[in-house]
Amino acid sequence: MGISLSKLTEKTNIWPWLLLAPLGIYMLIFFAVPLVDVAIMSFTEPKVSFANYQKVLTGALYQRVFLNTFTTAAFVTLCCLLVGYPLAYLMAHSKPRTAMLILLLVTMSFWTSFLVRTYSWMVLLGNNGPLIAFLQMIGVDNPPQLLFTRFSSTLAMVHILAPYMIMNIYTVMKKIDPALIRSAESLGAKGWSLFRHVYLPLTAPGIANGSVLVFVICLGFYVTPVLLGSPREQMVAGLIGHQIEEFLAFGLGSAMAMILLVVTLIILTIYHRRFGLDKLWG
Amino acid sequence: MNTFMRWAGFIVVLFIAAPLVIVVPMSFSNASSLQFPPPGYWLGYYRAYFTNADWLIPTWNSILIATATTILTMALVVPATFALVRHKFRGKGFADLMMLMPMAVPHIVMAVGYYSYFGDLGLVHSHLGVILAHTCLSVPIAFLVLSANLKGFDRNLERAAQSLGASPAKTFLHVTLPILRPGLVISSLFAFIQSFDETVVAIFISGRDAETLPRKMFDSIRQEADPVIAVISTLLFVVVLVGIAAPYFASALRSRAPKPSRPAGAH
Repeated sequence: MGISLSKLTEKTNIWPWLLLAPLGIYMLIFFAVPLVDVAIMSFTEPKVSFANYQKVLTGALYQRVFLNTFTTAAFVTLCCLLVGYPLAYLMAHSKPRTAMLILLLVTMSFWTSFLVRTYSWMVLLGNNGPLIAFLQMIGVDNPPQLLFTRFSSTLAMVHILAPYMIMNIYTVMKKIDPALIRSAESLGAKGWSLFRHVYLPLTAPGIANGSVLVFVICLGFYVTPVLLGSPREQMVAGLIGHQIEEFLAFGLGSAMAMILLVVTLIILTIYHRRFGLDKLWG
Repeated sequence: MNTFMRWAGFIVVLFIAAPLVIVVPMSFSNASSLQFPPPGYWLGYYRAYFTNADWLIPTWNSILIATATTILTMALVVPATFALVRHKFRGKGFADLMMLMPMAVPHIVMAVGYYSYFGDLGLVHSHLGVILAHTCLSVPIAFLVLSANLKGFDRNLERAAQSLGASPAKTFLHVTLPILRPGLVISSLFAFIQSFDETVVAIFISGRDAETLPRKMFDSIRQEADPVIAVISTLLFVVVLVGIAAPYFASALRSRAPKPSRPAGAH
């Protein structure tokens, strides 16, 4: 019976298509069409031309915002790596109880709404907050404005995105065979050189994974830069939202969205060729 | 190296923890604006949250939208996952990739698309519009979790049931589904949270009629940084803590039991 059933499905091969059809049709109508709509609008609003792309690619404001977005994303990725690596190390090489507590903390942070985390940084960095109070206590008379600056939005983004980096590196570190480290030690490697030539290369896949993920998410970040960042140093997503909401400039907004999308997809395609996209979130 | 990494690690622990622990005392503060540490404590902002329709309606909207999104997502994803994991056919690699696409597209790009497209369809500012959009965004995560589960499924169990005379439908209902239940539950949970947390698309298309909690929080933070947000943050924080800590404690209790039972599989 089981054999005849599988023979039947092999021959006709209609089953997978029947099972896939509802989702396929749904995604076509409610995912592909809106995306194509954005692409079309970028060429047709307000009239058919390349004017939107010309404006976005040559206008000083737009160039500055794109440049700011890429440098911010790169800087946030670097900070996440510097912050995440030691923490992942601590998790991977502590006693089970300590490791579990830290893992619990990182998981908590990961699952806490990023609006909540953004709000917390507003409290921490605000003019009546603990950080300013601390600066005053140690004798800084005119503490600098922390909130609504590049500093505050960067700090919050590092905090929000660090768990992605930590989880990716931790997974790789856990799988490292201790025998490799021991044999490197027995061959005379220690300290910095052991780390540089043995440990670090072994964790490289986790670093690559985490970095791509953090960079790509950061490129498209909307909420945190809008709420915490300096209005003068917008990121692309914020500017797109601004164009749509304030000026109903769908053409310009769409052109910027398309550029953001294309850049994101190029990065992910390169990644997919080397590692496979499904590895990214696993 | 080792010592350095450990110390650096402990400092990072503080950095990760600080924003999480700060909202709890803030929610009991009696200050009228953001101030830490609070000058005094009261429960006023909890009362403000639980009695104010401006906050309760968005909360209810979010629960409603996330529930509907979960049901719709699972109805679409479960059969599709079976097709993609259990069948080989031309175009499967492409279909696999398409399932993950909504995760690769920045939400702001989708927001622009939905804002214009749903505007044409008359779906902007409606619950249905948000549900339809959120379902697309929940598909990849539900698929990832479920397909991982289905790949680990031992098909001999189904063959055994069929060899004993069970019909395909019976086999599915009495063998396949019960074994897959943990995967289905986790997959649904992820879809629910994805929708409940989603902010960017909701900001653009939910309007005032279908306003979700994240959208209301976003507006409130942008305008006045209402201290009620600390209350909501604390409540959301407790929900997450219970959700995450419960399995930990359950497994800790189990491991202390005299006769450790075998792990149940999908963890």
